Amino acid sequence: MRIVILAAALLFSFSAAAHEMTPAYLKITPSEVTDVYATEISMLNRRSDVDYYQISVFDGEWNRLPFASFQRLFKLPYSKRKSIKIYFQKEVANKVVYVCTKSKLYKGAGTFVSSRICSKVKR
Amino acid sequence: MAKRTIGYFLAIVGAVFASQALANEDAPITGTVESKCVIFTETQGVYGTPLASRLSTAAADGGVQPIIRYDVALADAFKGKITFPSEFSSSPSLTDTQTFTGNVEVHSVSDVGMADYDTNKITFNNTHEYDLTVAGTTKFKISSQVDYGNSKPFPAGTYTTLVNAECIAK
Repeated sequence: MRIVILAAALLFSFSAAAHEMTPAYLKITPSEVTDVYATEISMLNRRSDVDYYQISVFDGEWNRLPFASFQRLFKLPYSKRKSIKIYFQKEVANKVVYVCTKSKLYKGAGTFVSSRICSKVKR
Repeated sequence: MAKRTIGYFLAIVGAVFASQALANEDAPITGTVESKCVIFTETQGVYGTPLASRLSTAAADGGVQPIIRYDVALADAFKGKITFPSEFSSSPSLTDTQTFTGNVEVHSVSDVGMADYDTNKITFNNTHEYDLTVAGTTKFKISSQVDYGNSKPFPAGTYTTLVNAECIAK
């Protein structure tokens, strides 16, 4: 058992990898559609052990809020950057405080660290 | 007449080169440093098995402690939350209880102003919350230990747990 654990884990042991998301402070602006508001985040994946990230949106009490995006769960290959637009209904846009991206890990891949970065809407 | 024409020509050519040289001198290099927080996985963890009924990341137990690095480009703008494992994310079938313990500590810092991070952190359940008040780099080390119920040996297989590292804009 010791060998199995060590073999699986050592594959991922000594490599620096990063989850990067900008901007730290978001602006929500009217979109091209009436009563729909939008914001945009930029992601850079420097985690070679992660291929997918998931977007979540929360209010100030960390309750989930509905949103629309073409890439709610999106693939972002290693060392690639991507900009993602997120849309809200007018009544939701006023409540949005945090927009987060979280790494999605493969089950049993030996990965030890899950990362989440949250940007904030400052009012 | 010919000399005057050549003189005008040389003057014009000289002026063109001079203007290019000036333009090159003025070529701007711009850059923007955004306020951001980046989470680096410096070292993934490895469980050692000091006992048949125990998994541990301690070096003395044959394990490797995961190290997570936070790079913060703006002071007093982010909170770092690190949660050590409380369950297996994948494992062989287990029929008995597992007891998870662990800790999160500052491993190294890039600025002396970060020296109090461990003192000032807020701890709840398995989560350690740090107020990242200084811009720069902070590395955190996480320890994790799992004991299987009643000192039973763990079944053979691969065991994976997750450390959750979060960076939240304030």
